[in-house]
Amino acid sequence: MTDTTKLPKGGVNPPVELPGPRDPGIANAALPNRATIPLLQHAGRPAIRLVRPGDVVSEGMLVGKPDGPRSAAVHSSVPGVVAEIREITLATGERCEALEIDLGGSFETSGRPRAPRPWENLPRADLLERIRSAGVVGLGGEGVPTHLKLSPPPAGSCSLLAANGLDCEPSLGADDALLREKPAEIIEGLRICQLLLLPARTVIAVSERSADLVQELQRLVQRAGMNTSVVALPARYPQGHEQLVVAALEGRPPSSDPSSVALNVATLLAVYEAVVLEKPLIERVLTVTGSTVAHPRNLKVRLGTRVGDLLDECGGDLAGTGKVVMGGPMRGVSVATLDLPVTKRTLGIVTFSTVEARTPQETACIRCGACIEVCPWGLQPTRLFKLIRMGEEAKAGREGLARCTECGCCSYACPSRIPLSAILGEGRRRIVGVRNGGGSHG
Amino acid sequence: MAESIRHAGPGDPATSAAPHLRVRMSTSRMAWLASLSLLPAAAWGIVLFGLPALIVLVVSIASAAAAEAAATLPRGKVTLGDGSAFFTGLLVALLMPAGVPAYVPAAASAFGILVVKQSFGGLGRNWMNPAMGGVVFALLSWPGLLSQWAAPLGSAAANAAVPPLEALRAALAAPGPRDATPLAVLARAGYGFSGLDSAAVGWVNSHVLAPLGTRLQPGTLDVLIGHVAGGIGSTCAPLLLAGAAFLLTFGVIRWHLPVFYIGTFGLLAFVFGGLGTGQGWLAGGPLFQVLSGSLVLAAFYAAPDPVTSPLMNTGKCILGAALGVLTFFLRFFGSLGDGVAAAIVLGNCISPLLDRWMERRKVQELGQGVA
Repeated sequence: MTDTTKLPKGGVNPPVELPGPRDPGIANAALPNRATIPLLQHAGRPAIRLVRPGDVVSEGMLVGKPDGPRSAAVHSSVPGVVAEIREITLATGERCEALEIDLGGSFETSGRPRAPRPWENLPRADLLERIRSAGVVGLGGEGVPTHLKLSPPPAGSCSLLAANGLDCEPSLGADDALLREKPAEIIEGLRICQLLLLPARTVIAVSERSADLVQELQRLVQRAGMNTSVVALPARYPQGHEQLVVAALEGRPPSSDPSSVALNVATLLAVYEAVVLEKPLIERVLTVTGSTVAHPRNLKVRLGTRVGDLLDECGGDLAGTGKVVMGGPMRGVSVATLDLPVTKRTLGIVTFSTVEARTPQETACIRCGACIEVCPWGLQPTRLFKLIRMGEEAKAGREGLARCTECGCCSYACPSRIPLSAILGEGRRRIVGVRNGGGSHG
Repeated sequence: MAESIRHAGPGDPATSAAPHLRVRMSTSRMAWLASLSLLPAAAWGIVLFGLPALIVLVVSIASAAAAEAAATLPRGKVTLGDGSAFFTGLLVALLMPAGVPAYVPAAASAFGILVVKQSFGGLGRNWMNPAMGGVVFALLSWPGLLSQWAAPLGSAAANAAVPPLEALRAALAAPGPRDATPLAVLARAGYGFSGLDSAAVGWVNSHVLAPLGTRLQPGTLDVLIGHVAGGIGSTCAPLLLAGAAFLLTFGVIRWHLPVFYIGTFGLLAFVFGGLGTGQGWLAGGPLFQVLSGSLVLAAFYAAPDPVTSPLMNTGKCILGAALGVLTFFLRFFGSLGDGVAAAIVLGNCISPLLDRWMERRKVQELGQGVA
């Protein structure tokens, strides 16, 4: 079954013109000589450190254990020696300890094919434990431990399980590349999740720009004997958002309904590797692109690799670069240093030229209504930002401010260049009282 | 590779809030594109009415610019670059008769900028369209001067300086037989259409339409291309529609308001327009009514002004329909010109009410789950 479903409402279509040939495949990034492994790469509290300076670590060794339910295990992405422990500030502004690991010693896992381990007859608790102990978190930016999404309360029945193959943001292509390169593994990961959730309906959602994938995926799904449909969704941003994928598939307005689960395809691959190969999460695929990157591409990167090393590898022109963003162009965080490491939550690296990076001059709101039209959540950003600037956050809250996800559509569309999304995000944090970290793309 | 990112420019931090992409359209680009798309109509006005038209254009724009500069200079930020004052001056001029004393467009534009816009806090805070406010101010201040029109180039007849709409009104006020269409009424009244019109219409009638058993009324061409007395840039519908198509294509304006405005007005004019003059039902001559006066210009260039029209598309549709009703009543039963400027000023008053209503509806749509 193939059909294209509409984005409920709103969204934008930024023109994304990438320089140079765009290889849809995935290349392996060089190993870092020194990996910086933050103990916070997920939604909850930082992991508890298990090693000290001078300790020898092996590839994939557990170096941090979860501290609390929303925390996740952290593994060393390379073999070597812990050179030092230092405090770092992540792109999200959060501070945590990070291990500096100097590369050395032998690789025990890389390059050696692992025999798949049978999993079909394992009890659910064992499956969940394999996923948990491998440190698998949502790779769409949110970083919520995946075993939490896969263990719903016993009473709750799952109505929909969706494999989200839509890239979270324009110009990012890692999820699409994974669907092309690892479809069988992703589908096996989806089967594991099916076994855990027993959903009434399972769907693989791909972008309409990758509609050519639909047939191949359907063939694979049939071969695996799964009752799963493949659906092409609009390529319009932010369709890849978990709640909007679910909303489009169920034909209803977006909401945070726990009975529908969407998991990013990168996360499903991590689930597969954790359960079938018993491999911890020590690498991820991300896109390096931007107008000052000579060879934009998707890279499979060891966690802890420096942003600067990846830009070097892709031929970044730093002299002409005015801004480097970790994440995508719509929601990413611009960083002041290239020393930051790639974590489980890094979706991509996007650069902007000095001209592109100029802060646009804000002018008066002309009440054109563009922000209302593009808001996927049905909010009225022009009204909310005026309320917030007048100090009336509580009133803004009654008009739905808490639903803002800072997708950036309103700021993008505003002809007066008002930083609506940033203002709404700040106002929202003041009323909801939580820090917003990363996206929510399963 | 260096370890930190160079600043993009003085005062520009290397880090900034997401999103890092912005749509190309900006407030000033909207105003300048709107002005650009009106230049063909302005040029046509200068061809038709000559130097007096050019003088009105220059004076009106200069007055608007001077008023904007005078109002914003004390605040330390002169906003001439946003194009909004230029557009207001241009629009005021295009609605004026050529040959009107220069102080009239000067006062209208200055009133629009100073009183209607800047006294409320400048662009984005005014509740009334500055150009339309200025024109209504002039209509109320100098009604006589604003009803003295100039005859267009190539129309020598004595009554060619009367716009077709006013000539029609005068002809229907007189006793006599009632013709079915406005152009037939004008022909019987001896309205002076141009030689070009009679030559072209005559040729089409004898060579093309005669075998088909039909014929065009004299004046068809003149009314269609705006070769008649009227506002400097408000008579030529083809050029105005081409400009509007340009703006619609680039997303400067939305179709909702103009389409509902012209549609509602045309429908009302068609159904009821002939009642008051004894022509009966369904005899209002909707095409003539839409093309005459400043309706097309105002519907695409004044009514959809984002500042003074509703925020949401539903509201825009409702206001468009309301403007159609208002314009119909003001034109057929009122005395303030062709009814368009007054209707838009009245429409501006109900726009905030529509917004309040739509706002509540949208919040209710969000449902009870709102935190």
